[in-house]
Amino acid sequence: MLVRGVDAYWNPVLETLSRDKLRALQFKKFKRIVKWGYENSRLYRRLYDEAGFKPEDLKSWEDISRVPTLQKEDYRTAQAKDPWPYGDSLCVPLEKVTEYHQTSGTTGQPVYQPDTWQDWEWWSESWSYILWSQGFRNTDRVFIPFGYNVFVAYWAGHYACEKLGCEVVPGGILNTEERLLKINELKATALMATPTYVLSMAEACRNKLHMEPADLGIRRILCAGEPGASVPATKKRMEEAWGAKVHDHVGATEIGGWAYECTSQPGGIHANEAFFLVELVDIESGEPIEEPNRPGKIVITALDREAQPCIRFDSKDVSMWGERCECGRTFRVLKGGIHGRVDHITKVKGVLFSPVSVEEVVRAIPELGDEYELIVGKKGDTDVITLKIEMMPGTGASQEAVQQELVRQLRLKTNLAYNIEFHEFGTLPRYEIKAKRFKDLRK
Amino acid sequence: MITAEVNLKEMGKIIEDIKQKVQRLMEISGGMQCVDRNCDRILASIKMLELNISDVLEFLE
Repeated sequence: MLVRGVDAYWNPVLETLSRDKLRALQFKKFKRIVKWGYENSRLYRRLYDEAGFKPEDLKSWEDISRVPTLQKEDYRTAQAKDPWPYGDSLCVPLEKVTEYHQTSGTTGQPVYQPDTWQDWEWWSESWSYILWSQGFRNTDRVFIPFGYNVFVAYWAGHYACEKLGCEVVPGGILNTEERLLKINELKATALMATPTYVLSMAEACRNKLHMEPADLGIRRILCAGEPGASVPATKKRMEEAWGAKVHDHVGATEIGGWAYECTSQPGGIHANEAFFLVELVDIESGEPIEEPNRPGKIVITALDREAQPCIRFDSKDVSMWGERCECGRTFRVLKGGIHGRVDHITKVKGVLFSPVSVEEVVRAIPELGDEYELIVGKKGDTDVITLKIEMMPGTGASQEAVQQELVRQLRLKTNLAYNIEFHEFGTLPRYEIKAKRFKDLRK
Repeated sequence: MITAEVNLKEMGKIIEDIKQKVQRLMEISGGMQCVDRNCDRILASIKMLELNISDVLEFLE
């Protein structure tokens, strides 16, 4: 068989497979993982039995939507019991578990995530698709400024870099300044971090080391953890600051590294449809969405994960299908990456409001700093949105003019009015991992 | 973009052969940890080859 693009793709067979063959492969693997979950996990057996569903009911593609979705809360309810701490969600004997990680717990009790060694290989395999598509090669020296700990974050990125043959520099417990000095000393060529931390490192480089981040020689940056790298204004800020290409990646502890932006930068992220079944469903009705440009919620299945399978998991992430990418991959593109979470998209003054749209406005105004905070509260019966921002020092711009432009752009993009608060540069919180910029005090 | 002639079927057979050999190695190890634990790791890597190659073979004919 002639295989085209052995140099361009991590797996040229799967990444360019025709859509009908890809769907057939997905269905075969979906049936396999549903059977595995039902036969080996009390969580899935209970969930499916209660819904009157049996794995044998999966006869055609259309039957997939009959499989009950899994909520984060289902993991929580199933866990914190024997076999400790994974309880009913565990599908293998405890002695087969070699890795422990957990979710951050921002929405409640953290979910415990067991992985077998095979799962751990699978993590780095799925990350290898990501890294290869973004141009990482064995000539790269990759600096990972991540506090290696219980959160999965860049652990698999680290091991996938090794698989690709990259040289990995673990940034571990070094502080930001020490990390920047190490990048400079070792002439690292690539790094991976959240968009928030990429911008924060750039700021520290200028303010503490009195160096331009672009002079450090980083050529590519992988971002994860936040939607920023798919927000055009934030991506532009990062790329200009570092003189590097910035690519997005989406993953989650319970799911795995399931989507990536390739070097063609198609304005979205490819779902790795050989390893994951990604469904987009209507937020209200749950009806499947196949057409482009219609926002929906992502329901996702990791097709090959054994210790704690993730089957039709309600990710609560919102996105939309886009057009086919010029890179040649047949894996579909989620336009604009992740637009936000269902629980963050809320009605303010009767208008549907997504905090990511504010990021796009703030980061597109060069006189404003990278940091901002967004708080929705109430004054009497009226919703009030407060936007806290910082002016970038030394721009010479008038605060009044910047405020006018900001208000105009916000009105244009979100159809809402804001209470704007200017704060002294450097006084809003800085984050190393995921930023917490949005608060809805009405809840 | 480089194009190459690749015999995927042959690759699938070799993957299966390696898997069987490693499983056999485990059977005759007598429980030696230095054999079993390394075989366990090799099998995890073989699984990745199956996910990348073997699983899709039936759809390529």
